[in-house]
Amino acid sequence: MEVIAEKLDKALKLKVKGRMDAITAPDFEKECAAWIEGGENDFIVDLGELEYISSAGLRSVLITAKRLKTNNGRICFCNTTGMVQKVFSISGFQSMFPMYDTLEEALAHR
Amino acid sequence: MFRDKGLAFKLILFILVCTVSIFGVAFAYDYYTSRDTVLKNVEENAANLTLSTVHQIESILKSVERVSLNTAALIEQQSFTAPELVSLVETMVSRNREIYGMTVSFEPYAFDPESLYFAPYTCRTPDGRIRSYPPEYFAYPYFYWDWYQLPKELGRPVWTEPYFDEGAGNAVMSTFSTPFYRHRDGGNRFQGVSTADLSLEWLADVVRQVKIYETGYAFLISQNGVFVTHPHTELIMRRSIFSIAEERLDYRLREVGRAMIRGERGFVSITDFVSGKKSWLYYAPLPSSKWAIGVIFPEDELFADVNQLGRQVLTIGGVGFLVLAFIVAWIAQTITRPLRSLADTTVAIAHGNLDIDLPEFPSRDEIGKLTNSFRDMRAALKEYIQNLAATTAAKERMESELKIARVIQMSFLPKQFPRLSHRYSLEISAKLEPAREIGGDFYDYFLMDSSHLLVTAGDVSDKGIPAALFMAVTKTLIKGMAEPGMEPSTILEKVNRELCLENESMMFVTLFCGILDLETGEFRYSNAGHCPPILLPSRETPAWLDTPAGFVLGVDEDSSYETSGIFLAPGDGIFLYTDGVTEAKSASNNFFSEQGLLELVRSNGEASADELVHTVFSTVTDFCAGVPLFDDVTILAVRYRGTKHPQNGGLETWK
Repeated sequence: MEVIAEKLDKALKLKVKGRMDAITAPDFEKECAAWIEGGENDFIVDLGELEYISSAGLRSVLITAKRLKTNNGRICFCNTTGMVQKVFSISGFQSMFPMYDTLEEALAHR
Repeated sequence: MFRDKGLAFKLILFILVCTVSIFGVAFAYDYYTSRDTVLKNVEENAANLTLSTVHQIESILKSVERVSLNTAALIEQQSFTAPELVSLVETMVSRNREIYGMTVSFEPYAFDPESLYFAPYTCRTPDGRIRSYPPEYFAYPYFYWDWYQLPKELGRPVWTEPYFDEGAGNAVMSTFSTPFYRHRDGGNRFQGVSTADLSLEWLADVVRQVKIYETGYAFLISQNGVFVTHPHTELIMRRSIFSIAEERLDYRLREVGRAMIRGERGFVSITDFVSGKKSWLYYAPLPSSKWAIGVIFPEDELFADVNQLGRQVLTIGGVGFLVLAFIVAWIAQTITRPLRSLADTTVAIAHGNLDIDLPEFPSRDEIGKLTNSFRDMRAALKEYIQNLAATTAAKERMESELKIARVIQMSFLPKQFPRLSHRYSLEISAKLEPAREIGGDFYDYFLMDSSHLLVTAGDVSDKGIPAALFMAVTKTLIKGMAEPGMEPSTILEKVNRELCLENESMMFVTLFCGILDLETGEFRYSNAGHCPPILLPSRETPAWLDTPAGFVLGVDEDSSYETSGIFLAPGDGIFLYTDGVTEAKSASNNFFSEQGLLELVRSNGEASADELVHTVFSTVTDFCAGVPLFDDVTILAVRYRGTKHPQNGGLETWK
């Protein structure tokens, strides 16, 4: 798994690539925690190149979302496709978090 | 070669070899330098000795020559009567010790026209007296003897070759012969010779005085190489240096002999032709007689001092070598003794005896440091092993606890078929395989009342102990919350609210919960983020069950859930599973996938619940061959058999 962070005008974009499972999820969580620590509280997570997400991955998303909430921040996801789209759908995450088809759409809602 | 030998041996060997080499080189250098020096000194001494001998002999020869020359001069200038001449000869012999004998011999009829021979002769007798012979005594043709012929022909004084004068001198001698002339018939006519004999025996005595070391000696050779004097008297007159060289095939001696008769001088190494020993020869000419003198220096005597010194040095060196060997051996032993005892101790340590005492060395040298290092190492090793033992014990304890936990967790799962009324017929089968000892997957089924069966399968996020604890809580909550007549969605909402309390770690559960009305076949269900089950219609192709959306349990206490419902005809069934099935990975990194599962279930559409569970489980296990399970695998199948033929016997049992 690889997390590429990019600071945009309105938000912090985090592009997640590869597999987000029990082994890699803590890295995502730590990366997000560090940005939150640094004062970022508006995350757009681009999942376009995420191949796989396990329940541990979902949990790290929840932990991050909770941290942001404590800091009056927010998180949204875009570009979900395939298996990830399905997992988000089945687990109900899709209805719990704002989901956008594209990054531009996500930005338009900032 | 010495790999197996001890350090002490190598040290001794190395030091002694080095010492012997250095000593050997120094000794050899010293020995040969000393020899050269001795040789130079010897050459100088030999030259001096030889030249002084030459001088001594020369002076004797000169005095002999002088008598002959003076007598010839007298005869040329004065006229002598026969008795006067005899008296002159007699006087000359008695006055000159060096002279053995003397004659004045005239040409035929030159002194007395009446007499063919005229040669008065005087010589010494063996007892030292003087004996004179009258002029007529030697009435034989002496004119043909060398001592007469050579000066006459050469016209100058001559030393003859040594000869034995039989009848007159009766001794080995050499004669110096001077011609004398008188004016006759208008010219200087040869009248005869005046001779002086030199006894070679006497000369030999003089030469014998030249003492060279113990067995060294001097000898004289004539201009033909014949021995004039030699300590071995049998050589005198009989042998020449060349005949000996020929006999011995000693070409070097021949060269030396040639150089000697050429009047050269030199100092050469030869083999003594008498003793056969290696010797040095100094040779020089005797100018007046054209003879040569040779002085033999036996080499062993020449270098006796050097050799003796060498022996002494070697003895001292040998003793020193032994002392050094002893000292080195002692030092080596001193150094290696602690090493050996340390080595023995470390062997014991290596065999596991960590309580053995290391030898005590008060010194702070390398061995002391090494010992301290070993002591530290032993302590560290001991501590490490203790830690390891503790860790292993802890690990074993944990493993055994995990095993117990697994047994307990498995005991949570329903083992017995629900006690159904005989009216109802049902098949139910399930299988759970945790990825580790214990896991977060679970399933459950129980009768809420006589005709309602609750079926549930769930998956706690994450794995291991936390998941297992969370699973236990969830399962207990479901059983505790479920009351007869309650909708599945209500149960989920209640369980969710309980789980959300104090869930700081954001653990969550995906859960499918369904309630089957055994009387009517109605199946009402709700879903909290769990993967959708597969509907198993008895007359149609199995398909995904349409489930209402619902968020996972344990995160949002306000989450609400919906209930959907379908009617199952007898023979229809429901297939529940967790994502451990669809996300099972093969060695080639492929997922088993939803599609794979659906197809597998479809191809076993008619199978009993038990058969289906086992087929799916074994297929998934085969799919993952060689790769450990990544997630817990849970499979549960229910087949509703309706109410028409109430019986229990043919029902599948849980394994």
